[in-house]
Amino acid sequence: MLLTREALKLDLPLITSRLKRFIEDYVKKTKADGAVLNLSGGIDSATATALATLALGKNRVVALSLPERETYSPIDIKHTKMLAKKFGFSLVTIDITKVLQAYYKAIPAFDPKERLCKGNIKARARMICLYYYANRQNRIVVGSSDKSETMMGYFTKWGDVAADISPLMDLYKTQVRQLATHIGIPAEIIAKPSTPQLWPKQLAEDELGIKYEVLDLVLLGLENFVATKEIARQLKLPLKLVEGIKTRWLSSEHKRRTPLTMKMEYRTIGADFRLPYMPP
Amino acid sequence: MPDAITIALGQISCRPGDKKHNIETMKKRIAESKRIKADIIAFPELSLTGYVVRDRAYELAETVPNGSSVHEIEKIAKKENIHIIFGMIERNARANAILHNTAVLISPKGYVGKYQKMHLPTHSVFEEKRYFRPGYKTPVFETEVGKIGMMICYDVYFPEIARLLSLRGAKLIVGISASPSVRRGFFETLTAARAMENTVFFAFVNLAGVEDGLQFWGGSRIIAPSGSVISQAKYDIDDFISATISYSDINRVQAWVPILRDLRPEIYTSLREETENL
Repeated sequence: MLLTREALKLDLPLITSRLKRFIEDYVKKTKADGAVLNLSGGIDSATATALATLALGKNRVVALSLPERETYSPIDIKHTKMLAKKFGFSLVTIDITKVLQAYYKAIPAFDPKERLCKGNIKARARMICLYYYANRQNRIVVGSSDKSETMMGYFTKWGDVAADISPLMDLYKTQVRQLATHIGIPAEIIAKPSTPQLWPKQLAEDELGIKYEVLDLVLLGLENFVATKEIARQLKLPLKLVEGIKTRWLSSEHKRRTPLTMKMEYRTIGADFRLPYMPP
Repeated sequence: MPDAITIALGQISCRPGDKKHNIETMKKRIAESKRIKADIIAFPELSLTGYVVRDRAYELAETVPNGSSVHEIEKIAKKENIHIIFGMIERNARANAILHNTAVLISPKGYVGKYQKMHLPTHSVFEEKRYFRPGYKTPVFETEVGKIGMMICYDVYFPEIARLLSLRGAKLIVGISASPSVRRGFFETLTAARAMENTVFFAFVNLAGVEDGLQFWGGSRIIAPSGSVISQAKYDIDDFISATISYSDINRVQAWVPILRDLRPEIYTSLREETENL
């Protein structure tokens, strides 16, 4: 398999119509009144929110902007407003700083120096807000995780990945960029470096140690059973880097599945209960 | 057997697990097919239950032809004076926990016959071998609307099924399907190939809509023995198409490209041996 940009090219009108139908269909089947999303101002959440609005109409989509003091970004806030104006969905801004401070204060083991543990509280606090709106207003939570970050385990377990549906989860980051352009996300949002907003100046590509344009091709190779040696050869990358990506992908599987249990009985949750979701 | 018949294809989306709802959906399409005076209408694979039912297959299965759903479809076929093909999960009459992925053919006079899917995909998103026992027969049914053979979805990847059906005299092969979107390219080529290489009419009816994250691509079609697409449904969404076909067209095509005449049975023994040795 040739690992080229061409391999990641999407049939954008087709993908757009299918994703819109997927969102609309799920809302209809679950008899929900609409969707709620976390709109950070980044490309993934901008694309997911815009898609949900195109699928459901502007009156059925609420986007929560959930800033907090340490990672507050005026540019991101400007972008959330720009998107709300362009697509017409409702935008609710909730400053979660006080919520976070309450957690920091209440947890006896809390250590501010452990920035990942602290950052994960932020992602999970945002999840709590989303699910409150979902419960209170009979909405589904539409996630905005992409395939690159999900495969890399680059997310907070039960945090930013928590959702009822994740329409973008089978699209690599560079494919989300294509889709974002196609549905009219402003170029300045698409060009902005990705950040999970867990601590100040955190940038996804710095932490992952690789540009998404290259990472996506490595992941595409792994998805297609291409050997690490061959991926490294084709992309002219050190083998160690490709193997490191593979290890990171495999070792984060615990974040992508239902909690593991010990099989003891006839049919086991997460193992051999195989059920479709069939709302009554 | 008439020379010309009108075929209708009910490209529907199903509510998984809700047989009552799905039969109601079929009824609407049957009424539509009567308005255009169709002789036969076909519905997709597992159209009675929906495709993604997983473990619920056991509770949704019914025997054929004695299950209540077959009886219900029989009543509709009689009332509307039409032949109906649909897909369902069949419970084996002798061993209750054994299931089959089955296509059922019903005439206005009642149950005609069934085809049990022979090739059960168990890869990627498919897990059919977990639930179904494969079929072993490729029957052809002589009906008032022609000699009909049936196949189901992934069977179209295996030219042997269509070949057996055509050698047994089928003039119309009805392939019922629940093919998700990523497979569209394969099916568009293979359905035409099966029609051409056997010089038969091929009616392909695919599921539409979304079930548990799978978008079924629709695109149902009626293909002439020459391979040309006579009628084609929309992609992805519910649709209804029909076409009037003339069986005598087969003679014309067979004279032009005499494939069945040129078959070489002496190589088939090797084919079997090599397959067994794979």
